[in-house]
Amino acid sequence: MRARGTRRPAILRLLGQDRPAACAAGLLLLLVLAAVVAARLTGYAYDHQDLDHPFRGPEAGRWWLGTDQYGRDLLTRVLYGARVSLAVGSSAVAAESVVGVAWGTIAGFYGGRLDAALMRVVDLLIAFPSLLLAVLVTGIFGASLVNIVLALTMTAWPGMARTIRSEVVALRERDYLEAARGLGASPARILARHLIPNVVHLLGARATLDVSALILNEATLSFIGIGVQPPRPSWGLMISESFQFLQSHPYLVVVPATALSVTVVSFNLLGETLSEWLDPKLRQRTR
Amino acid sequence: MICFLAYRVGLTLPLLLGAAVVIFLAGHYAPGDPVQVLLGDHYTPEAAAHMRHDLGLDRPFVVQLAAYIVHAAAFDFGVSYVNPARRVRDIVRQTLPISVRLAACAVLLATILGVTLGVGAAVYPRSVVDRLIQIGVIAGLSVPSFVTGAILVLLFALRWRLLPVAGWGSPQAAVLPVIVLAAAPLAYITRISRASVRQVMTEDYVRTARSKGLRAPAVLLRHVLRNAALPIVTTVGMAFGYAITGAFVVEVIFNIPGMARVAVDAILQRDYTIIQTAVLVYTTLFVVINLVVDLSYAFLNPRVRY
Repeated sequence: MRARGTRRPAILRLLGQDRPAACAAGLLLLLVLAAVVAARLTGYAYDHQDLDHPFRGPEAGRWWLGTDQYGRDLLTRVLYGARVSLAVGSSAVAAESVVGVAWGTIAGFYGGRLDAALMRVVDLLIAFPSLLLAVLVTGIFGASLVNIVLALTMTAWPGMARTIRSEVVALRERDYLEAARGLGASPARILARHLIPNVVHLLGARATLDVSALILNEATLSFIGIGVQPPRPSWGLMISESFQFLQSHPYLVVVPATALSVTVVSFNLLGETLSEWLDPKLRQRTR
Repeated sequence: MICFLAYRVGLTLPLLLGAAVVIFLAGHYAPGDPVQVLLGDHYTPEAAAHMRHDLGLDRPFVVQLAAYIVHAAAFDFGVSYVNPARRVRDIVRQTLPISVRLAACAVLLATILGVTLGVGAAVYPRSVVDRLIQIGVIAGLSVPSFVTGAILVLLFALRWRLLPVAGWGSPQAAVLPVIVLAAAPLAYITRISRASVRQVMTEDYVRTARSKGLRAPAVLLRHVLRNAALPIVTTVGMAFGYAITGAFVVEVIFNIPGMARVAVDAILQRDYTIIQTAVLVYTTLFVVINLVVDLSYAFLNPRVRY
């Protein structure tokens, strides 16, 4: 409890020092809110077509950002797209964190042959470009939302496992772990009470950076046509659907592209600030 | 060195074998019955059983797996699922060189520009140039290639009509795809070069070289760059990986008849043999790239001996 009491102002102070990161955090907060209330905000369903009014320009009170080729409200679709991107990104990061932390701590904690074997698997998977793995999974097993999350999880967890393992290896020989072992704590207890709490800070920074990478990968899959399927909107899918109208109605591409880029840049900025702040070595240097 | 070489090359075989097994399993347990797809309206149980026998799908699982691996090793990937008149091997032979050439051009561009920018940013740290390059790096890593592609097509092809919108064959047609494909690797190489050069510049021997009166360019070339080269080489290898997968987007946007485009079309048509082959081919490419990177690492760094 005390840790939380001292940490929260520290984060606020950090954001005060780092203007770009503060902007990024604010933007993301707004985005999450907008994505949650999406339909209430605009009053349209994401697949509501109005074929009498395609390609309308922005009109306050009716279509704030205009309509697409089927007369669907662009703002509604961008907001629902945010919902899909954030939901897919965060569930994949959650799943990735569970697998990565479990794998990394077990490998780092037990060491020896088990460590070597577990980390070979990680090396193997990291050597592959993430998109290719995702293409294999969604390409063969179909592009349902669950499969997309699974595919993205598969691409991301090895990196997480490697980060966590190296930290656990560094922590393993610390005195307080020695003390816990001397007191007769079981390996399970040492893992759960002493090791995992001490790698959580790394997890936070890495997960934030991974959200941006995974959102980008989801958008890419959807753009190619093997991610989110129509009529459900996703930023990548919206860009690909409107690509043919690039000359006549560029805003149909520009709006989702901006939303996607701003989101990804924000997560990157926030993630980098967090990892700098959470890494004690870097913290000493910057302050 | 010979030992390491033999070990490292030997390591690739089980890797490729494992990949082939995984790819076979994925195809084997994929939803949908290939026989039903191939027969279409002519489907009867007898015809299906007959075809299953002809395709060897009634053999035991292990035999099918072994047959797949033996054939794949001989570059025989069977025929396309959707269009049985086309041999997958011929498709690969026609399309893979296009993808590889595209990726090679992009990596070349990204390496030359990236190292230049990265070293420039490192030599003048915290200057305006450095700041601009840093912003560019974040943008390059964050903005997806289909967005860069859309912007460039909009400006250079549609507005100013300087370059073709899409297509393949003429040198002009390759300009935009190569630039789009090079963007992410460029950002990555720039970032790593900058970090690597900055780190080496803090070393004592660099200060010694400077204090003995060596001119800055000489220090940079002789002492800094040689020692900063290692991570950069690794990154260039990884950049090749980026460029190869980036082709999945770029070949679709610019309608380039490369391997990635074939793979995407195959996925959309559920052409399993082509999907499997594409993944296998890409896997092999990556294994080879990683091998080359590892070997160059050992070759460049006399301190590291495995």
